[in-house]
Amino acid sequence: MSDRAAIGVELAEQFTDVAQQRRAATLGMWSWLLTELLLFAALFLIALVLRILHPDSVREAAHHLKFWIGATNTAVLICSSLTMSGAIVTSRLGWQRAMVRCMLATAALGSLFLVFKGYEYYQDYIEHMTPFLAWRPYELSGDRASQLYVSLYYVATALHAFHLTTGVAILLGLAWQARANGYLQRHQNRIEIYGLYWHFIDLMWIMVFTIIYVMNR
Amino acid sequence: MTDVAMRERTPPPATLDRPLDYLHDAHTLRSWLFTIDHKRIGILYLIAITAFFIIGAVAAGLVRLALVVPDGQIFTNDTYNKLFTIHGVVMVWFFLIPSIPATFGNFLLPLMIGAKDLAFPRLNLLSWYVFMTGAVFTLATVVIGGVDTGWTFYAPLSTTFSNTWVVPALIGVIVVGFSSILTGLNFVVTVHTMRAPGMHWFRMPIFVWTMYATSLIFLLATPVITMALILLVMERAFGIGVFDPALGGDPVLFEHLFWFYSHPAVYIMVLPGMGVISEIIPAFAQKKIFGYKFICYATIGLASITFFVWGHHMFVNGQSEYASLAFSFLSFAVAVPSAVKVYNWTATIHKGDIHLDTPMLYAMGYIGLFVLGGLTGLFLATLAIDEHIHDTYFVVAHFHYIMVGGTMLAFLGGLHFWWPKFTGRMYPEVWGRISALLIFLGFNVTFFPQFILGYLGMPRRYHVYPHEFQLLNILSSAGSTILAVGYIFPMIYLLWSLWFGKRAPSDPWNAKGLEWTTSSPPPKHNFIVPPIVDFEPYDYPVKAGESV
Amino acid sequence: MMTPAEKRELWRHMREPAITFAVLLAFLAINVTIGWLQPFPAVWAVEGAIMVLMIATVLLFSMEVIEEPALIKFFSILGFVWVAILFGMTMIDYVTR
Repeated sequence: MSDRAAIGVELAEQFTDVAQQRRAATLGMWSWLLTELLLFAALFLIALVLRILHPDSVREAAHHLKFWIGATNTAVLICSSLTMSGAIVTSRLGWQRAMVRCMLATAALGSLFLVFKGYEYYQDYIEHMTPFLAWRPYELSGDRASQLYVSLYYVATALHAFHLTTGVAILLGLAWQARANGYLQRHQNRIEIYGLYWHFIDLMWIMVFTIIYVMNR
Repeated sequence: MTDVAMRERTPPPATLDRPLDYLHDAHTLRSWLFTIDHKRIGILYLIAITAFFIIGAVAAGLVRLALVVPDGQIFTNDTYNKLFTIHGVVMVWFFLIPSIPATFGNFLLPLMIGAKDLAFPRLNLLSWYVFMTGAVFTLATVVIGGVDTGWTFYAPLSTTFSNTWVVPALIGVIVVGFSSILTGLNFVVTVHTMRAPGMHWFRMPIFVWTMYATSLIFLLATPVITMALILLVMERAFGIGVFDPALGGDPVLFEHLFWFYSHPAVYIMVLPGMGVISEIIPAFAQKKIFGYKFICYATIGLASITFFVWGHHMFVNGQSEYASLAFSFLSFAVAVPSAVKVYNWTATIHKGDIHLDTPMLYAMGYIGLFVLGGLTGLFLATLAIDEHIHDTYFVVAHFHYIMVGGTMLAFLGGLHFWWPKFTGRMYPEVWGRISALLIFLGFNVTFFPQFILGYLGMPRRYHVYPHEFQLLNILSSAGSTILAVGYIFPMIYLLWSLWFGKRAPSDPWNAKGLEWTTSSPPPKHNFIVPPIVDFEPYDYPVKAGESV
Repeated sequence: MMTPAEKRELWRHMREPAITFAVLLAFLAINVTIGWLQPFPAVWAVEGAIMVLMIATVLLFSMEVIEEPALIKFFSILGFVWVAILFGMTMIDYVTR
């Protein structure tokens, strides 16, 4: 590894020093993550309310979710958290090339998640677990309340998939920028900040999986 | 270095042939539309929300026009429903919520804490564009197509029964929510990380405290309503059924999610107003603010308690009575920090060197109307009385006393107070006082009769009503014309003053605070010499015998 | 290729993320097992508790909150406190209807 680069942050005009800029960026990302948490929390609240109002329908619907695909996807995201941590560690060491590789690995694992997710949706479709499609018969049509929970599953997982898709896109963009010489000298903190976002998407999935797939079985 | 020397430092004489301020930095339209200067973005917001205010006010005028006759002859039912929806949607989402934070907050927050700019200037510009996109989109929807759900979008009316343009209106409101979040995020980070040396927390002006509290509400509450509105869109598009009782869903759940944001949103609208009043009163009483720390704690207290009281909007909708009891009890707790503030303001005025300039007139009006609005809120928080006056004009009058009597008066007071700082020009004082009095008078004539109407049982959102209510309705509509005149005057004379007003000195009111130490209007990076704060907030001269 | 010194340096920094990774996978394995087998009716409470442990692990170690200043620690908890308010106050309604 001979490509060890100096690391640093280019000072933006409004700040007086780099430490201030780093503090601001970290706090900014944490503030954004607060909003992400509350966004998903509304869906978890609905899951709990449905469980209270219609316990049997919710259990029935949860048993039709693809438990093992969800579990595999959780493992995939936990792996991607490890590679993201690798990117952060290597960025701090100034190993720019290794960092880019870690970022690409993270993006690949994120994409793998999306592929599994797509396959899961496909399975749901062929098993007639799509109550929102008016033209398609619904597997649990005898149990009307069950479709509320199934719809909630779609909203929650689609919202997460949307976050992951933007996450992968931003990660690829960052990796593209980070090939340039001296990137770590100017923008090392972008990797740190982005890392927080990625870990938090994983965190949200851990919550979605446990609450939607596991706890209501 | 002494206090005096710190704050009377004059900028070096300009060597250019134009003034060195943010307004004259560049003149092109491009330099405004792509600016990342927080002051210019504040002005962009000011222009935008003024336009939205005019639209919302016209709709309100038409609503009052329709209510002059009891038999609903002036508009059809549909038109009337669309009109009050335009009024509500525009005033709440596109005027009141961004009003003080996005305009004064953007302009003043960095000035008040001695920073060069907000922490994320580009994000700030982005939030303006997000705001404009959502707002113009929704506005086009509610004006061209029309929506009849009211600003609250309650299910199942908004999901099942309304056949108006609900989905596009919802999408626009969701988009505007993101602009609130971005502004809030920027303010939180700025207050935490960008304060000038020596500006510790208990040296910040109350206005900054209220901006901080408001921003936390933006961050913690907005995402929940975003999700609730997304689910409404899903409900209409795919019939997912979560709020649909026919499938076993629960419309009350929507109201829980809606009010988890929308009750705290009341404090998004009110807290900044309180901040403005806390700046105006010490300046025009020439006295240190009474109980500074208590006002700070009351600000944070209000911003927290407000998250525990939303169920008082839902006493008659089928919520469990135990929940209603809890929410009712907690709602009374709101009165405590509110009263702390009112007492502190009046104690500040007490024995002060009072100047009744326009901003002070607005501030005095604010205190009176806020007390009336706040106390009637306690009626509504009482379970038994709410059964009687729920969804009547009593509620309408109550929240207009808070929203117009509170926020709107604070907005106008602040606009006059900081106008010299924004523009470098003084407004005509006589006209200012006349319109402040007109607004106070017009407001009370418009809304006081509505308390009586509501108590007698006139429901809100109806335009056909029994004949015995006509007199009070006519009185209310007559008052709204006085109010309209009071609004039109400032629009004219403030514009006039941009070219013909007297040049403003850097501190025309002899007020304290970092924003008054820099020139009017401020230079591009706010301060020629970065300030160092070694003085206490509101350090107005202490008279003999006065305890601090 | 990496020199032995670099390998040691990398491992010194990667040890914590690697342990975090292993712990998270172990928690996941427990949750998946009991979620699949459903050994007793109140198993959801155990699953919830393990989810809380996973959240804490990600926050403290993956996101390094443990090394951050008090302000960031505060912000990382704040959101969860507000989620608790949302759930708590709404549940007063639903459990007493």
